[in-house]
Amino acid sequence: MASTDSADVVVVGTGVVGCLIAEQALDAGLSVLMLEAGPRVDRWRIVENYRNLPPSMRLFHWDAPYPPKPWAPHLETRTPKEAEQYLQLEGPNARAYLQGYVRYAGGATWHWAGICWRLTPEDMRLKSLYGVGRDWPFAHDIIEPYYARAEYALGVCGPTDPAMQWPPNVKRSRPYPMGPTPFGPGEHRLTEVAASMGLMNIPAPQARNSGVAYNGRPACCGNNNCFPVCPIAAKYDAATALPKIEAKGGRILANAVVYRIETGDKKAVEAVHYFDPDKGTHRITAKVFVIACNGIETPKLLLFSKDDRNPNGVANSSDQVGRNMMDQPKLIADLELAEPLWTGVGPVQSSSIMNTTQGEFRSSHAGALLRMENFARSPLGAAAALKKGLVGKALDTEIRRLSACTARLTVEHEPLPWPDNRLTLSDKKDWLGINKPNIYYDVSDYVRRSAKDYTVPLLQKLADGLGATSFKLSPEFLNSDHIMGGCIMGADPTTSVVDADCRAHDHHNLFLPGGGAMPSGTASNSTLTMAALALKAADAIVDQLRHG
Amino acid sequence: MSRAGHRICALLILFAGSLMAGASSAAEQIDPPADKATIERGAYLAIAADCAACHTAPGGKPFAGGLPIGTPLGTIYSTNITPSAEFGIGRYTADEFARALRRGIRRDGAQLYPAMPYTSYAKFTDDDARALYAYFTKGVQPVDVRAPVTALPFPMNIRLSMMVWNFLFLDSNVYAPDPRQSAEWNRGAYLAQGAAHCGTCHTPRGFLMQEEASRALSGAQVGPWYAPNITSDPATGIGSWTREELAAFLRTGRLPGKAQAAGSMGEAVEHSFQHLSAADLDAVATYVKSVPPVQDAASGSRFSAGRMFSELSVLRGRNPISSNNDANPTGAQLFQGNCASCHSAEGQGSKDGYYPSLFHNSATGEKNPANLIAAILYGVDRTVSGRQAFMPGFGGHPTDSNQLSNRDIAMLGTYVLTHYGAGDTTITEQQVSEARHGGPSSPLLPLARGGLAAGAVVLVLGVAFLIFRRRKAVVQKA
Repeated sequence: MASTDSADVVVVGTGVVGCLIAEQALDAGLSVLMLEAGPRVDRWRIVENYRNLPPSMRLFHWDAPYPPKPWAPHLETRTPKEAEQYLQLEGPNARAYLQGYVRYAGGATWHWAGICWRLTPEDMRLKSLYGVGRDWPFAHDIIEPYYARAEYALGVCGPTDPAMQWPPNVKRSRPYPMGPTPFGPGEHRLTEVAASMGLMNIPAPQARNSGVAYNGRPACCGNNNCFPVCPIAAKYDAATALPKIEAKGGRILANAVVYRIETGDKKAVEAVHYFDPDKGTHRITAKVFVIACNGIETPKLLLFSKDDRNPNGVANSSDQVGRNMMDQPKLIADLELAEPLWTGVGPVQSSSIMNTTQGEFRSSHAGALLRMENFARSPLGAAAALKKGLVGKALDTEIRRLSACTARLTVEHEPLPWPDNRLTLSDKKDWLGINKPNIYYDVSDYVRRSAKDYTVPLLQKLADGLGATSFKLSPEFLNSDHIMGGCIMGADPTTSVVDADCRAHDHHNLFLPGGGAMPSGTASNSTLTMAALALKAADAIVDQLRHG
Repeated sequence: MSRAGHRICALLILFAGSLMAGASSAAEQIDPPADKATIERGAYLAIAADCAACHTAPGGKPFAGGLPIGTPLGTIYSTNITPSAEFGIGRYTADEFARALRRGIRRDGAQLYPAMPYTSYAKFTDDDARALYAYFTKGVQPVDVRAPVTALPFPMNIRLSMMVWNFLFLDSNVYAPDPRQSAEWNRGAYLAQGAAHCGTCHTPRGFLMQEEASRALSGAQVGPWYAPNITSDPATGIGSWTREELAAFLRTGRLPGKAQAAGSMGEAVEHSFQHLSAADLDAVATYVKSVPPVQDAASGSRFSAGRMFSELSVLRGRNPISSNNDANPTGAQLFQGNCASCHSAEGQGSKDGYYPSLFHNSATGEKNPANLIAAILYGVDRTVSGRQAFMPGFGGHPTDSNQLSNRDIAMLGTYVLTHYGAGDTTITEQQVSEARHGGPSSPLLPLARGGLAAGAVVLVLGVAFLIFRRRKAVVQKA
């Protein structure tokens, strides 16, 4: 049953981070083998899965069109009981770590919104400037060129007007590859209301083709379907990179669940081992190993790989693997409005208020990003109108009213890396006998203070400005699906897992790039930073293999 | 004009030609004036002739050549036609330039491969050949880079062999106006037969790959695409189009409810037609509208087939949600999953026409399914007046985001034809496979591959007989 295989670079995980590194390595002439735990499924099959869902499952159950394989479980949310099956969550804010990612070839970008914020220079110096969190081991000007490369690799559309760009007053080395997507009517209105409060709602840079094709993918035509799948691949997802990787000679092996990282006596990683769907085991060798399984599966694998040589797990001499788990604790406010707002024209998210993420106040409470969801309200309106028992013209009128005159405001708070927010191996095991991830999560007073004194009052003011007749705030903090921190980056090997290139301090040929490496979470979406770190790691990998 | 078109006829003509030998005609004397107006006229003619399509490589410097034109017999590289003395045409005299343009003869006397459509460019008047010379020597920046050298295997490397073919099929007369027709018609005929070289793609070819004049513009295969019948036949040509509609199609690449330009024609609209003057487009339309009708075997217009249709009501609720790719998906499933997001669930496209309706559409209404197959495989990418019309390919390029198999494209295409198009045509996996590999192969190709020697003997004997008969006729007349 057992077989062996090898490549210059083995990449575990076929999400955006793994795919970017694979392409860079192939371009440098290296051989690449990618291992993916989940299946590789055609886009059209996923689109049809989505359309075959009952209407009640089409919103907010972004996992539903991606039924997991027994050997690669992920969160499913069709019932509350189902939601407890895979991720084992505890702590005061367990609900805020209910992370929806898919273990499919292409990874979680299958159902991301495509939002591509850059960090600000301040975001990378929280400890120095505000006395909280951690500093990054390098400055913003180091990551800036990687941001630019990531924007071109993914195809990010963004504002051409520097006054509308984020971060403000920081020079960009290249313009966005495409201009911004136009605002829908709801976003225009929010922008006016925000301006009257001294806040600036700016176009969100997004990995979505605005008006032109990019890299063989068509322009967005406003299906408003970014979650749970873009039916035409106008939004970048890593599944679109897979054929490109194969065209360059890369190999992609789906349904290969890596369960062990094997190190040798000189601390180098010698092999990874994977299960096939028949529970057969295989050993793969390489010169460099990249574990790009996002912020939960990567630390889980490192911890599960513990052996005599690595008693705390691989790459874990610092005891920081699985600690510092971060995501932006989110609150949502559902509004009913006196006047039509008509969200739903264009992508599901297209703009945000960003200046609320920055300020001296970060020494005492979290910054936060505020935005209005731009998904079409009609399915919610229809469900609500039907519940009222209406029929005929009255039903029709009510569906229209609820589709036009309702909205959802969202606020995402900046998390800090707390060591107690920790991923460990649960006693419960999955189909293959691998321990499920257990995560303790407390959003901390830093976030709670922000919500109480800063963001909820802001939400209320925005709602008033929009003419809200009702304001329903979510009773607890929710997840934002931006998994960060579990393999935290730093200059000091005793307090961090990876170095500035996402290389494990403990193993020179093991790279752990992505959100897990981020030393600060900040209020903005993490993917572009993950992509930039992936490219930085790719440069280091290529350099390491060329020059030893 | 189109790369694919040139590629196919280049391949076939050079093969036919390589098996023969003969004599060429002489060049003529031209003096080169180079005032600004002449250079500008040359620039315009270069657009009309779409020289850049082949001589400017994607991402390369204008007219520096180097575009690889792949054929199963080897790769032909377009040449550097900038005024670089060493690597371009900088040393060409006006005469030499005209001889290359209209006779396919290089400065050193060698024959060009007919990837260069000199059989059409032979129509250029002396004045226009001079204007083109003025533009390419004075209006184009020299690029001192050698384009890759074309090195075809034997016997295709014997450029001399093209002489016989030229002797038989190259009409070396410049365009002669027809005094019975209007000035506009004559201008249109001059452009259509010459610079725009419509016949290169739209006219079917005979045994030795010569354009069949008797069936001019009645439709021909161009790689994976099919250049349809554009004669004035009301049923199978474009006789039902008004002159204004044809001009609008050439200018915009689309005629809502009828047709859109893709493949080589998309390139022609993007690089050439959209930049021509309204008067010239009207003239071309006037002429093309007058081309004698040729009726295909198929009956019925390719512009009016099909109707709105959807199988959603039987599809939904019956299909499970699956983590497996279906081994044998139905046409209806493939259509809804791959096409409906843009072309809509009933196939009517978008209201603004950006996504065309799949019925009342030449790509689905044509009996020959080549363009439907090619559109699914290779997509559409045409930018006109700064606005891009784009459909992604579904597997024709290995990098396409969505890769459909030959089997799935055959199922999907047949479904589209059945419900939105010509109706009773079935697409086979074999047809899709051919299109994926560049289009149907030529009957001459097996000769090249298998029985090259035997084929050569037969052809040479045949051609010798033809030449003998012609001479004999001349002798008898005398």
